[in-house]
Amino acid sequence: MAFTPRGGRGGDRGGFGGRGRGAPRGRGGFGGDRGGRGGARGGGRGGGRGAPRGRGAPRGGRGGGPGAKGGAKVVIEPHRHAGVFVARGKEDLLVTKNLTPGESVYGEKRISVQTTAENNAGAVNGEAAPATQTEYRVWNPFRSKLAAGILGGMEEIYMRPGSKVLYLGAASGTSVSHVADIVGPTGTVYAVEFSHRSGRDLVNMATHRTNVIPIVEDARHPLKYRMLVGMVDCIFADVAQPDQARIVGLNAHLFLKQGGGVVISIKANCIDSTSPPEQVFAREVQKLREERIKPKEQLTLEPFERDHAMVCGVYQRSAA
Amino acid sequence: MCDYILYESSVGYAVFKVKMQGDTIGNRLAEVQNKAQDLATFGKMVEVVTFAPFQNATQALSNANDISEGICSDYLKSTLEAALPKASKKSKVVLGVQDRNLAGSIKEAFPYLECETSETSEVVADLLRGVRMHAGKLLKQLQEGDIDKAQLGLGHAYSRGKVKFSINRNDNHIIQAIATLDQLDKAVNTFSMRVREWYSWHFPELIKIVSENATYAKLVLFIGNKTTLSDDKLHDLAAVVNDDESVAQSIIDAARVSMGRDISETDLENVLDFAKRAVSLAGYRKSLHAYLVSKMGVVAPNLATLIGEMVGARLISKAGSLTNLSKYPASTVQILGAEKGAKDEGKHPKYGLIYHSSFIGRTGQKNKGRISRFLANKCSIASRIDNFSEVPTTKFGDALKKQVEDRINFYASGEPPMKNEDAMKSAMDAVLADIHIADPTAGAASDEEMADGVTAAATEQKVRQKKMKKEEKKSKKSKSEDVEMADGEVKKEKKDKKKRHSEVNGVKEEKTEGKKRRHSEADVDGEKKKEEEQGLDLPPLLCPFSATTSLSSHPAWLGY
Repeated sequence: MAFTPRGGRGGDRGGFGGRGRGAPRGRGGFGGDRGGRGGARGGGRGGGRGAPRGRGAPRGGRGGGPGAKGGAKVVIEPHRHAGVFVARGKEDLLVTKNLTPGESVYGEKRISVQTTAENNAGAVNGEAAPATQTEYRVWNPFRSKLAAGILGGMEEIYMRPGSKVLYLGAASGTSVSHVADIVGPTGTVYAVEFSHRSGRDLVNMATHRTNVIPIVEDARHPLKYRMLVGMVDCIFADVAQPDQARIVGLNAHLFLKQGGGVVISIKANCIDSTSPPEQVFAREVQKLREERIKPKEQLTLEPFERDHAMVCGVYQRSAA
Repeated sequence: MCDYILYESSVGYAVFKVKMQGDTIGNRLAEVQNKAQDLATFGKMVEVVTFAPFQNATQALSNANDISEGICSDYLKSTLEAALPKASKKSKVVLGVQDRNLAGSIKEAFPYLECETSETSEVVADLLRGVRMHAGKLLKQLQEGDIDKAQLGLGHAYSRGKVKFSINRNDNHIIQAIATLDQLDKAVNTFSMRVREWYSWHFPELIKIVSENATYAKLVLFIGNKTTLSDDKLHDLAAVVNDDESVAQSIIDAARVSMGRDISETDLENVLDFAKRAVSLAGYRKSLHAYLVSKMGVVAPNLATLIGEMVGARLISKAGSLTNLSKYPASTVQILGAEKGAKDEGKHPKYGLIYHSSFIGRTGQKNKGRISRFLANKCSIASRIDNFSEVPTTKFGDALKKQVEDRINFYASGEPPMKNEDAMKSAMDAVLADIHIADPTAGAASDEEMADGVTAAATEQKVRQKKMKKEEKKSKKSKSEDVEMADGEVKKEKKDKKKRHSEVNGVKEEKTEGKKRRHSEADVDGEKKKEEEQGLDLPPLLCPFSATTSLSSHPAWLGY
């Protein structure tokens, strides 16, 4: 399977729940704005069961309770990245530990597992005495670029339990909720989103997760929200703006610790729709270098997103 | 170099004294940078002078809003006053501030202070980074996690304020209402069709006599079983069909000889139940329409008067908000709603939503394009007046509507329309007269030069508004002189002028010589345009949603 002992980067990563592997998925009407995704995305469990539905569409009565169907057979294993887990059942799923058990943020599936005190991985034998329920939420790589990046085999995501993360382009807070799961109660996610419409959902999500600080403000002007943000370990940016690198740079100079991580998802079409994607990515990486961010790795988000790249780097304020 | 550093945190303001001056040279060296990482070394570089915590959540929020806008609040003023030594002219005190705008406001309040920002000095930027990193430890009063907690509460309050005071607030209801109305139209239609289908089983002749949907549904409710219909019901029946006794009589006659099948009690009950719903839905549609009309009268009265409530609401909904609509050029307004389809064989669409205006329908085929252009111009002006004026009035809408009608008349009969200048002047006078009555002092004050945005007192606002409208009038006036010339092709003239103007600029900008000539030449052309811009620039000051005032007065605060 794709995501345990990693092969080379960009190696075998298709074995995700028997989804149409390798086959490029048609995404009709993939508009520029983030809300407008209408492409067919698999349901929470993928496979043949997941009915395609648009992003944010209300789910029907299909919402599975904790540990729905085959929950007993699911085994949770920690992922290479701390805070991320893999649920091994009939299909393998990327999951994060739910910070607010019993609640779904955007209608995603939840998996409940019996755990004993020592044994974190799901124990099947019924004799473990102080068994507690731990709930995990399924993280759909078709909806979250970070999840796609992790499945794509990112070397380092720079966020772990206890980290402080500045999340630019938080949108409605779907991915943010998973990042909040990763950093856990001791970490903090500063979620910046400019759109008022999405900001409303973001604030709502944040009321249930106290480690998320919602900031409805333009990421282009980090000074405007400087009172709300402390120094962070990682900046994640998914803003899809032509001046993305500049935005990330501005925020890094103010808030990112020396040696902190930068994770950027770049959509080639949003930067320059006329040049070939590879060229666009190369130019963006160059721009990051000028912002004193040392690029560490770059990977494509195929097959989850088309013409997207995930670029990771490290902020080095001191001249090399 | 800076002597002091201001750090604005979520818990309060802190002023630090810089004990070890950094150096710009070698600032980027790894050794220097690492120093700031370590609290042990960084703690020796700075020293807390004052820490002024916020007393409560409301104060924190209002300060956060001020800081975000670069305003030096009273609390910050008093904090700085207490913390910083009074500098003489010889020895100036230099304060390191993060934001350039805030630095400006601080300098205004404390003329003897010098300010360095993180943009002007990298040393300051690094010091501020260090302070931000170690603030929790440097500020001794604070306990572990205090800053995080304050950030969380402040973040929620700040974001909630932002979301709540959305500028689109008012027109949002219009957008929703027009969408609901469209949906209702469809629903009412399908309901009515179903009622007809169903009831025709029992009384097929009725549809021939009354084909109008709403009346039909009402009739179904009234008649019920057709066998119960007799002559003594004639009067009541006539009341349903607009007191038309002949229609009522023919219904009664038709009922007697109807070839429809008899209907059982329970079946009829269901038919009537459904008909009741159809009627009530139609009634609801009517009341919603009335709501939309009244709402448009408040939000966009001039636009509504000019082009009608429905089309006006559709324009707003298509643009996303009234503000967006007012920012669009008239050419965009003209084809709004025609983005997809409606393109006849690759030609550009002549009209979008405004095609549904009765003006276009009344115009001859040949002049539809011209009128649509003219109408779009006027809509654009109307939406701007609506968006930026504070006291709603329909005077301009009426004037604009008159102008469009005159123009249509001109194409039909050749009767020359009123000059734009005169039309706008009379509208302006009417508005001024209104305001004059409301506020007698406004007239006298309007002659003076006003400083923009000094106070928000009601009278002053009115004066400013008047000034804005005058400005607008001026720009219209100056334009109209040329526009009303030969064939009355308003748009073309304007476009040409703009093109010329931009050409002048474009060509000259490539050359570096002859700068002076460019200015004088461009100015001649650009004057009118400038005036127009002025007219548009001024209004935002009138916008009632200035973030600082509205947010600070808002008490919402969550106790996180």
